[in-house]
Amino acid sequence: MRIDEERAAQALVLAPQGRLDSVTSSELERHVAARLDAGERRLVLDLAAVEYISSAGLRVLLVAAKRLKEPPAALVLCGLGPGVRTVLELAGFVPLFAIEPARAQALARLSG
Amino acid sequence: MDTRRLSVPGTDEGVREALDALAGLVSDHGLSKSVTWPVEVSLDEVLANVVHHALAGRGAAATVELELRLDTRTVPAECELVVSDDGPEFDPLAADAPDTSLAVEDRPVGGLGIALVRRLMDDVAYERRDGRNRLRLRRRLVALEG
Repeated sequence: MRIDEERAAQALVLAPQGRLDSVTSSELERHVAARLDAGERRLVLDLAAVEYISSAGLRVLLVAAKRLKEPPAALVLCGLGPGVRTVLELAGFVPLFAIEPARAQALARLSG
Repeated sequence: MDTRRLSVPGTDEGVREALDALAGLVSDHGLSKSVTWPVEVSLDEVLANVVHHALAGRGAAATVELELRLDTRTVPAECELVVSDDGPEFDPLAADAPDTSLAVEDRPVGGLGIALVRRLMDDVAYERRDGRNRLRLRRRLVALEG
């Protein structure tokens, strides 16, 4: 799976491309874990280019949220298309995450 | 009616192949992701379950048989998936639904897949027949939003 990265002043942005399914999610999980292990504490996951997400992808979001729970660490999700958002809603995940419409708002949220 | 039958190894590579086949079927008929994603997510959930549980440890020697069927004569189009394996008897629909009201730190990681499939598909049925697990899933391809 391709994962685009952008280093912003406030956070590291990761943008996975394509399906977040039971095969590709482990690649994203390893990628996120490597960045957090390297000391990254403020992460934006931009899901705008994600075709769909299954429970394996939800699991990666949950693991990242658990590791970034204590401020000043932070995780912000953005760019959720209707399908991705619906899956998060059905799973009861929406209240568990900071969610912004797009990358600019996600970064703005972390600059305060 | 367009029916595609395939047999894939019981591995991640097999799951990828099956998801590619479904994506190819719906795109050959010009269907938008906005109506097909619930079926694609459901196929991933069901196959992950089969590969990681029913067929676990058997590698590429085990296979999963699939029928992917798209009926575009109806409006909306309808999609049916049949997934079968020769693993030990296991009815995924008999599992308890996870508690989605727990706080993030209390959530068990995983266990959501089949609950999602029930919400995303119109109809899901399991049967054990001729020594095989057989799961049949069906959905009318209309947009689904929470």
